[in-house]
Amino acid sequence: MSEGGGDGAEGGGEDRADPNGIADGSSDRETAGASGDPGEGPVPGPSGDAAPPMDRARRALDRLASASATERFLLSFAALVLSIAVGTVLVLAAGRATTCETAAFVLTHPTPFGLPRLFSMGFCFDPVAVFDRLFFGALGDPFKRGWGPLSPFRGGPLNPFREGYELLNPQMAVTLRETTILVFSGLAVAVAFRAGIFNIGTQGQLVLGALGTGLSVLWAAPFVPAGMAGTVVLVTLGLLVGAVVGGLYGAIPGALKAYAEANEVITTIMLNFVATGVAFFLVANYFRNPDSQAVETTPVPDYANVPPLLFEPRDDFSFIALGLGAALVVGVYYLLEQTSFGYDVRTSGLQPDAAEYGGVNAERTVVYSMALSGALGGIGGAIYVLMILGKFQTGVPAYGFDGITVSILAGNNPLGVGFAAFLFGTLKSGSTVVQFATDVPPQLVGVLRGLIILFVAMPEFFRMLARGIGPTADPERRAVAADGSGAVDTGGETDE
Amino acid sequence: MTRAVHLDGITKRFPGVVANDDVDLAVERGTVHALLGENGAGKTTLMNVLYGLYEPTSGRVVVDGEERDFDSPRDAIDAGVGMIHQHFMLVDPMTVAENITLGNEPRKWGGLTVDRERARREVIDLSGRYGFDVDPDARIEDVSVGVQQRVEILKALYRGAEVLILDEPTAVLTPQEVEDLFEVFEELTAGGKTIVFITHKLGEAMHAADEITVLRDGRNVGTVDADATSREELARMMVGREVLLEVEKPPGEAGDRVLEVDGVSVRDERGVTAVDGVSFDVRAGEVFGIAGVDGNGQTELVEAITGMRRPEAGRVGLDGEDVTRWSRQRRIDAGMAYVPEDRQERGLVMAFDLVGNGVLGSQHAAPFAKGGRMDWGAAREHAASVIEEYDVRPPDPGTTARSLSGGNQQKFVVGREFARDPALLVATHPTRGVDIGSTEFIRERMLDLRSAGVGVLLVSSKLEEVQGLSDRLAVMHDGELVAVVDPGTVTEEELGLLMAGEYPEGFDPDAATEPPDPGTVEARRDGGAAAEDGAAAEDGATTDGERR
Repeated sequence: MSEGGGDGAEGGGEDRADPNGIADGSSDRETAGASGDPGEGPVPGPSGDAAPPMDRARRALDRLASASATERFLLSFAALVLSIAVGTVLVLAAGRATTCETAAFVLTHPTPFGLPRLFSMGFCFDPVAVFDRLFFGALGDPFKRGWGPLSPFRGGPLNPFREGYELLNPQMAVTLRETTILVFSGLAVAVAFRAGIFNIGTQGQLVLGALGTGLSVLWAAPFVPAGMAGTVVLVTLGLLVGAVVGGLYGAIPGALKAYAEANEVITTIMLNFVATGVAFFLVANYFRNPDSQAVETTPVPDYANVPPLLFEPRDDFSFIALGLGAALVVGVYYLLEQTSFGYDVRTSGLQPDAAEYGGVNAERTVVYSMALSGALGGIGGAIYVLMILGKFQTGVPAYGFDGITVSILAGNNPLGVGFAAFLFGTLKSGSTVVQFATDVPPQLVGVLRGLIILFVAMPEFFRMLARGIGPTADPERRAVAADGSGAVDTGGETDE
Repeated sequence: MTRAVHLDGITKRFPGVVANDDVDLAVERGTVHALLGENGAGKTTLMNVLYGLYEPTSGRVVVDGEERDFDSPRDAIDAGVGMIHQHFMLVDPMTVAENITLGNEPRKWGGLTVDRERARREVIDLSGRYGFDVDPDARIEDVSVGVQQRVEILKALYRGAEVLILDEPTAVLTPQEVEDLFEVFEELTAGGKTIVFITHKLGEAMHAADEITVLRDGRNVGTVDADATSREELARMMVGREVLLEVEKPPGEAGDRVLEVDGVSVRDERGVTAVDGVSFDVRAGEVFGIAGVDGNGQTELVEAITGMRRPEAGRVGLDGEDVTRWSRQRRIDAGMAYVPEDRQERGLVMAFDLVGNGVLGSQHAAPFAKGGRMDWGAAREHAASVIEEYDVRPPDPGTTARSLSGGNQQKFVVGREFARDPALLVATHPTRGVDIGSTEFIRERMLDLRSAGVGVLLVSSKLEEVQGLSDRLAVMHDGELVAVVDPGTVTEEELGLLMAGEYPEGFDPDAATEPPDPGTVEARRDGGAAAEDGAAAEDGATTDGERR
C-alpha cells in the first residue's frame, strides 16, 4: 500500500472521532459528521435513543453541503416538480371547499363499452389549467391549443409551438421585464452575501437609485438633443446616477457596520423606510407632476427610455437592459472569482478571522462590497424607471426583497442569479395570467407561488445551513475528503 | 489473563485507500493498552471498527472471547465497549449527573419522568467506586475540560462499559490533568476495566500503558511491552526510520535587529491587560523563543507584533522601521511571515481549496495578482510546490482545506509561511498536532531559515521545542517576560518555576530581564562562547552553580 493511501484512508477514519463535536449543548451536533459513508451509526450521546434520525439528518446535511453543481440543479428541478405535486393537491382541496356552478375539473374514470360510471368527483379549480397558465401562460402560450397530455404534439412532433406563436409576445415581455429587474436586485443581494453581509436594504437602494435616475434624466433632458444620441447620453447618465446613488446609500450601512459595529440587518431595514420616506417627501413636495393624481414625477421624454429592441415600446421591456443584466452577472462572477478584491470579499464572507490574518482590510471590504451591492440595486432602480415606468413613482414594487429570495435560490452564486430571476419572473408574470384565465382566487395563486419558491429554495437553504455550521462550530468535523471519505485527523490537535 | 478485546486481521478499505491492512490487536483484561502512530496511521479507524462505527472490510472482532458483528455503537455498548472521543459530547447547560444518565435515565411513575434523585445517587456511587472527584450537580459549562473528560468516562461506565477506548485523551488537557487522567486509568484497571487509548506521543504511551501497539500506514508494526522499550525504538517503529528526537542546531550568527518590541502593552477582548510592557528584540539569524503556560499573554503579544491587534502602548519595530500602526497587509509585504496559533480559524480558509489558501496573505502581490487580477495558474503551482515540499497529503491542490487532517493543515500553513521568503518569522506552536516525522522536518526548515538570516520568534508551549531550537529563551508569565535565559544551560525545573511566576533560588531577575546590549551579545558570540546572551550567560552560570 502506498503511503499516500494510508494517509487518505486514515483521513477517512479519523474523521469519525471528530464528529462528536464540541460539547455545545445542541444534540444534533453530536452525531458523526462528514462524509456520506454508510455504516456510520449513532454515537450515543445526549440525544440517546433519538440518535439515529438525528444522525441521518446530519448526514443528509453534509451530503447536501458537498453536492455538485449538477446535483444541485437536479435537486432544484425535483423540488420544483414536488412543489407542483403538492400545489395540485392544494388546488384540488381548495376546489372541493369552494362552491361553484360548474366543475372546472372532474375526476372520474373511463367508461368503455357503456359500462356504468361508478365514481365521479367535481372540483371547482382545475390544477392542470392553473399550472399550465402559471408557466406556459407566462411565456405567452408556446404550446398549441392549451395544455393536455399530448397537446404539444398535436400539430406534429416537429412543430410543438402553437400556430402563430410569437416568441416575443407581450406576456413574454412581462416575464422578461420582471426577470431583468430581479437579476439586478438578486445580484445586489448575492454580492453582499458573499462578503458575509446580509443586505436587506436592496429595496431602499433601488428606490433611491430610481429616484436619482428619474430626477437626473429629467434635469438633463432639456440639454440633450432628441434621437439616438440623446438616448445614449440620457440612459447612460441615468444608469450612472442610479448606480452612484444606490452605491452611496449602500455604503452607509456598510460604514456603520465596519466602523461602528452596527448590525447591518437592522440598519438596512431602517434605511429602507428612510429611503421610501425621503423619496415620497421629495417627489410630493418638490418634483411632483402637477397633472397627475399619483405621487410621481413628470415622465421622462420618450428618447430617454431604454430602446425596446425587437419588442414593442408598450411592452416595457428591452433586451438591452436584460443584456446589461447578463453582462453584470458575468462581471460580478469574474470580480468575485478572478480578482484580488473578489478573493478578499469571499474570504471575509467565509471566515473573517482568516481574512484578517491574510491582510484583508475588513472595514474597507465591508464598505466596498456594500457600495457595490447598493450600486447594483441602484442600477435595478434605474432600469425600472427608464425601461418600465418612464418616470419615478412612489410605491416601487418590492424588487429588493424578492432579490433576497432570488439570491438564496441561486445559492448566492452570480451565475445562478440569472436562472433564479427567470423562475421568479415567470411566476410573477404567470400569476397574473392565472387570475385572468381561471376562477382561482389571487390568494391561492400567491400560495402556489410561495410554495414553489419555498420548495426550490429549501435545498439551497439547508445547504447554506450545513455549510454555515461547519467553519464556525467545528470545521474539522465536517470534512469531506477528495476521495469521498471524510478526512480529519483528531490526532492533530495536540501538543507533545 | 484473558483477552478483553481481540481484533483479528482487520482490514478496512475506503474508496481508493486502505486505512487498516490486516491489523491484529490483542488487549488483555485489566490492562492499559496504547495505540501509537503518526497522523494518518489508521489508529482511529481501527478503534471505530471496534466501536461499531465502521464495519471492517474483512477480519474478526472478538470481545470477551465472543465474536461480534457490531452494526452500530449501540451494539458495541451492549457488548461493554465504550468510546470517549476527543471532542466531548456533553450538554453544556445540564448537570454532570444528567449528562451521565442521559439516554439511560432511571425513571419513575411508570416511566413518565426521570428519577433525578436516583440518577444522582447512582452517579455518586459510580464516581465513588473509582475515586472520581466530580460534583454531580455542577453544570458541564462550569467545570474544567479534565472534569468533562471524567464525565465522559463515567457516562461510558454508567452504560456498563468494560472496555474503554479513548481517542487522544490528553490532547485537550493540561499537564496536571494528564497526570490525573493516568491515575484514573490505574483506578479503572484496578477495578478490572480495560483501557485502549490512542496517542501519538511517545512519552505518554510509555508512561501510562502496559503494552503499546504501533501502527504505521495502516499496518501493525508491532506490539511491545512498555517497560521493555525506549523512546528511540518507538519513534523508529512509528516513522519507519531513525528519527532525531533532538534537532542538531548549528551555531548561529546573529545579525541586525529584525524585530524590536519596546514596552508593548496589549489588552485582550475583555479589556484586561494581557501583555504588560514587554520589551525584547529578535535579531536576524537567531531563534528567539518564548516559553510559558498558554494564556499568559503570548497570544496577545504575537497578535500585536503581527498586526492582528493594536497594542495599548509601546512600539513594534520591523527592520528598523516603526510598524506599530501598520496594517497587517503592510507587515506581510514588509516580510513578516506568521504561523498562527489557530490554523482553522485564521491560518486557513476552510472552504477554499489549497490553491486559494496558498495565496492567503499574498492575494494582492505578485506573482499571484497582476493589476488586481488573480493568476490562478501561478497560485496552483505555488500550492503544489508547498504540498510537495512539506509532504501534505493528499497531494492535490484542489482539496479543500477542511478535508485535510489537522497535521496536514498545519504542514500546509507552515509551508506557505516559510515560503514567503521572510525577514521575520513569527511561529506560534508550529508543530502542534504534527506527527514526529513532520515535526522533525518543520524544525529543520526553521533552522534553515535561521541560517539564511531570518529572525525567528518562536512561541511554543512545548518546552523541548523552545529549548532545543532557541538561541535565547524568554519566559512569559502573567503578561510579562519574567526572564530571558540561555536555553543551553537552563534546566526544565527552572523553566517550570519561571513559567509559574516564581524565581528559582539564586536567580537574578533583573539581570535576566534586562534587554541584552547588542554590542555585548555580538562580542560574546564572536568569541565563540557557548552562551549567546549576556544576561542569560550570567544567570545560566548562577543556576548551574546552584544545581551542582
